Amino acid sequence: MSEPSRRAWTAELMGTTASIHVIGTPDACAAATDAAASTVAALRELEAIFSTYRADSEISRLRRGELSFADADPRLTDVADACRRVEEATGGRFSAFWREGFDPTGYVKGWATDVAATAHLQPLLAMPGVSAVGINVGGDLRVWTAPGAPWSWTVGIADPVRPGAARATLRVRNGAVATSGTAERGAHLVDPRSGIAVSAAVSATVVADDLTTADVWATALAVAAGEDTGWLWDAPLRSAMTVTDAGVRRWVAGVGVETVAATAD
Amino acid sequence: MKRIVYALLATVSGLVLLFSYRTSLPEDAAVAAPLNANRTDATRVTPAPASPSAGTSSTTTTPGGSSSSSSSGATSSTTTTSKSGLADGTFTGSAVNTRYGALQVQITVSGGVITDVQTPAYPDYSSRDRQINQDALPQLISETLSAQSAQIDMVSGATYTSTGYLDSLQSAIDQASA
Repeated sequence: MSEPSRRAWTAELMGTTASIHVIGTPDACAAATDAAASTVAALRELEAIFSTYRADSEISRLRRGELSFADADPRLTDVADACRRVEEATGGRFSAFWREGFDPTGYVKGWATDVAATAHLQPLLAMPGVSAVGINVGGDLRVWTAPGAPWSWTVGIADPVRPGAARATLRVRNGAVATSGTAERGAHLVDPRSGIAVSAAVSATVVADDLTTADVWATALAVAAGEDTGWLWDAPLRSAMTVTDAGVRRWVAGVGVETVAATAD
Repeated sequence: MKRIVYALLATVSGLVLLFSYRTSLPEDAAVAAPLNANRTDATRVTPAPASPSAGTSSTTTTPGGSSSSSSSGATSSTTTTSKSGLADGTFTGSAVNTRYGALQVQITVSGGVITDVQTPAYPDYSSRDRQINQDALPQLISETLSAQSAQIDMVSGATYTSTGYLDSLQSAIDQASA
């Protein structure tokens, strides 16, 4: 059994770096270059509409009142509706509306990755010789594996305090893994319910069917890492983990799994 | 293969697995151990020592809730316990109800780190359904004993900037595959 080949492409977008991987025969990997380029192009198109860092984007014009939802790209309305649903589902722990009007930045990266990769990357699995495809945008990733292919992705969870090292691993064939936290960009996490930045060091990882879901729930879990998490019960996640100064917490399908050392028997 | 090695190293100690339930489940209030008296939403589970070949999936689950664990097999020992508070060994919890149905979780601890997580019991799908759903079954995240980046295909972490990416583990993996 020879190891399958792997090709990786990277591109800078959305203020970070995106990595696209294809696993398969050497020929199949070489033939995937166009699909990788199309995926990047689709992400850039969505970024041009949704980037709040660009003065000429539709979202920026909408936020300045120069554009109405009715006249804007219909995907802005779709995203706004989706953000409202997520805000309700997370009990306000995720919100695109709490500060300076509508800002869906926290939703768009995961969603745009799902949209672009589902359209241009996933179809590669139908090609002979392709075992698996995956995309990672700034630490949030989604992977697919061809049915029956002898492959699964080993996903490392970056250690929040040891850059370049992995704190944990997970095997996934199909699905998404997202991590939110204060480790990389400092205290950019704000609890929308209070408007106060999360000051404690926290890393929250969520595994879900798609990256839109994993990303927003990782964000919600990061701002609520110290809380009782009964509100996670109905969350559409497969499993989750938080790492804080207080230790590691885990959930399986929304149910908390706690490991506690016994004092005596 | 790794699991077998860990199982050989395993010694049973007084590790307690707590599976939190939502408060409305009827079993909850029944078991309030002194250890977790402040947790009315938790069911205490005594660890059942298990070996990889011991057929832990034979634990029966009741339709309405968790399997009751009456195991008294936990024996204290002088096992090394790391600062994480986890003692080495393989431990099987009772079933938890999830949106996937009743799931049972088995963890292997080595050096105070959870090195393997299995779900030996999961919803009784038909074989066809099971094949379809297997990929989506929840898998807990295992902590690594050491960062073996050579075995990692992709890295999830708090969003890095393009500059931060250059120093990241993901960058190293990408370069190796470019």
